[in-house]
Amino acid sequence: MNDAVVTHRTARAVAEARPPRRWSPARVAGSAVLGAWAFLFWFLWLTGRDALYLSTRTDWVVPVAAVLFTLATLGRLASAPVSTPEPLRAREAWIMGLMVLPVVLVLAAPPTTLGTFSAGRRSGFGGTGFAASASEIGEGELTLVDVAAAQTTPEGERALAARAGEPVTFVGFVVRRDDTPADELLLTRYVVSCCAADATVAQVRVVNVTPGEFEPDDWVEVTGPIYPLGREVILDAQQVLEVDRPDRPYLTP
Amino acid sequence: MADIATRQAQTATARTAAAIAGMLVLAALVLRVLDPGRVDWVRTFFVIFGSLLIQALPFVMLGALAAALVEVFVPIGTLEKLGRLPRPLQLPAAALAGLAFPICECGSVPVARRLMQRGLLPSAAVTFMLAAPVINPVVIASTFVAFRGRTSMWTVVGGRFVLGMLVAIAVGWVLGTRTTEELLKQNPEEAHEHLLELGRPEARWRRFFVHLGNDFLFMGRYLLLGATIAAAIQTFLPASMLSSLADLPVLSVVAMMALAAALSLCSESDAFVAASFAPFGVSAQLGFLVFGPMVDAKLLALYAGTFRRGFVRLVVITAAAATLVGALWIGVLFG
Repeated sequence: MNDAVVTHRTARAVAEARPPRRWSPARVAGSAVLGAWAFLFWFLWLTGRDALYLSTRTDWVVPVAAVLFTLATLGRLASAPVSTPEPLRAREAWIMGLMVLPVVLVLAAPPTTLGTFSAGRRSGFGGTGFAASASEIGEGELTLVDVAAAQTTPEGERALAARAGEPVTFVGFVVRRDDTPADELLLTRYVVSCCAADATVAQVRVVNVTPGEFEPDDWVEVTGPIYPLGREVILDAQQVLEVDRPDRPYLTP
Repeated sequence: MADIATRQAQTATARTAAAIAGMLVLAALVLRVLDPGRVDWVRTFFVIFGSLLIQALPFVMLGALAAALVEVFVPIGTLEKLGRLPRPLQLPAAALAGLAFPICECGSVPVARRLMQRGLLPSAAVTFMLAAPVINPVVIASTFVAFRGRTSMWTVVGGRFVLGMLVAIAVGWVLGTRTTEELLKQNPEEAHEHLLELGRPEARWRRFFVHLGNDFLFMGRYLLLGATIAAAIQTFLPASMLSSLADLPVLSVVAMMALAAALSLCSESDAFVAASFAPFGVSAQLGFLVFGPMVDAKLLALYAGTFRRGFVRLVVITAAAATLVGALWIGVLFG
């Protein structure tokens, strides 16, 4: 009998002696958690709802995560049949259930963004860097990020002051404080570098607004000339229109 | 016998699965029908909690991926080379290794844990874990961009790199010769892995995916806990509370370090938030930028789940003291 035949028979005998593979509950449950997160990342990416949580600079993590979590799910599922299935303890199962809870939270809750409540609790926008430099503020179309960035440096303040009286159009949501006069509102937008957790506030004071027309958290488009006064910027409203929340509610510097 | 009966009682059954599924369905229904997002603070909490998880979990997955690659594909000898370096060079070398690992703090914990399990000197692994999120090129670039145009730019960028390394080395040095067993907690899932491997070693690709999943599931739960705490703090803590401390030399640094720990920001974005606290000086901003990626609410939960008791206390005290002293000195010399 040659060696090849012996080897073949031995391998077959070993294979027959092995216990049959069964699904490991622990690995299947782990696959379910990974699969739930994979589904969430695909959902966020395909529906564009990642914009409610991330900036344009970091939203690349969503498709990358969708692919990674999908591969991890499939890989773990493929490795789930084992000859000695590990038990899944009840405590572990509940923890895995809790890990799926945020997925349910994001999927089931109506889409929402940061609003008036946190505007008073967050620091003002102090970004330089990606935000416009003083020379950029001095020319071209002004954005709310430019205006906010200009308020952080003396050079920016001077560049913005030189444009006093120029018409602008800004979109943001309405914030009112206790001391805000009835014919004014604070047009507010969050500036996000990575995710909503690092949001800072960009804000201008809008005057000449019809009293009682807009409620806090309403999204509006305001057109009119701006008048920088030191660290404060006033926008003299010539037209205020209620608009839908933008697809990208946060600005990226 | 009683032990076996207890274990069987603790094993998840179909009834457990049904109860968990019921909980998830009920949560979805409650959210859909009651829409708690109408309440301002609940909405703020949901958005911040969701954004922390959506941003951080992919990095935990990347960290788990790197950890699984280390576990399954990197020969032990490769890591032992670091151990053969003269002892005074080991910790700086481990800190500098962070330069090659451009992901944030959540990802570095599973990698460090796996490196320790694979035989790397624990103090070197911890030094790497703490240094990588502070000194990696992406973080340094984002710090440069956030402070561009300010007179303090190079002090902050250079100070973050140097102080980040020094603080990480200081923590590693304080850990000394403690062993992996003294530092790491056992993951119950890994106990099963070893039992299984005693019977018949699994194929490499299967081991890779099992390690990947286990590392993610192990770290993910602590991130979930940390994100819950951080989101609660962010929802209710007014940033203006700190502004009165800006002119106080030591207290301003302590306050910014505490804020960094409370906010639990990703190290790749924290420079933009630090820059927004313009009235605070260089020392306070460095305190925020160096301490935050090493100690924050979500990391504390990760550390508590990964390491044995005492480790968290040691890291917090050493990192806080070293950051405070270092940031004050940099402020005196270059501020």
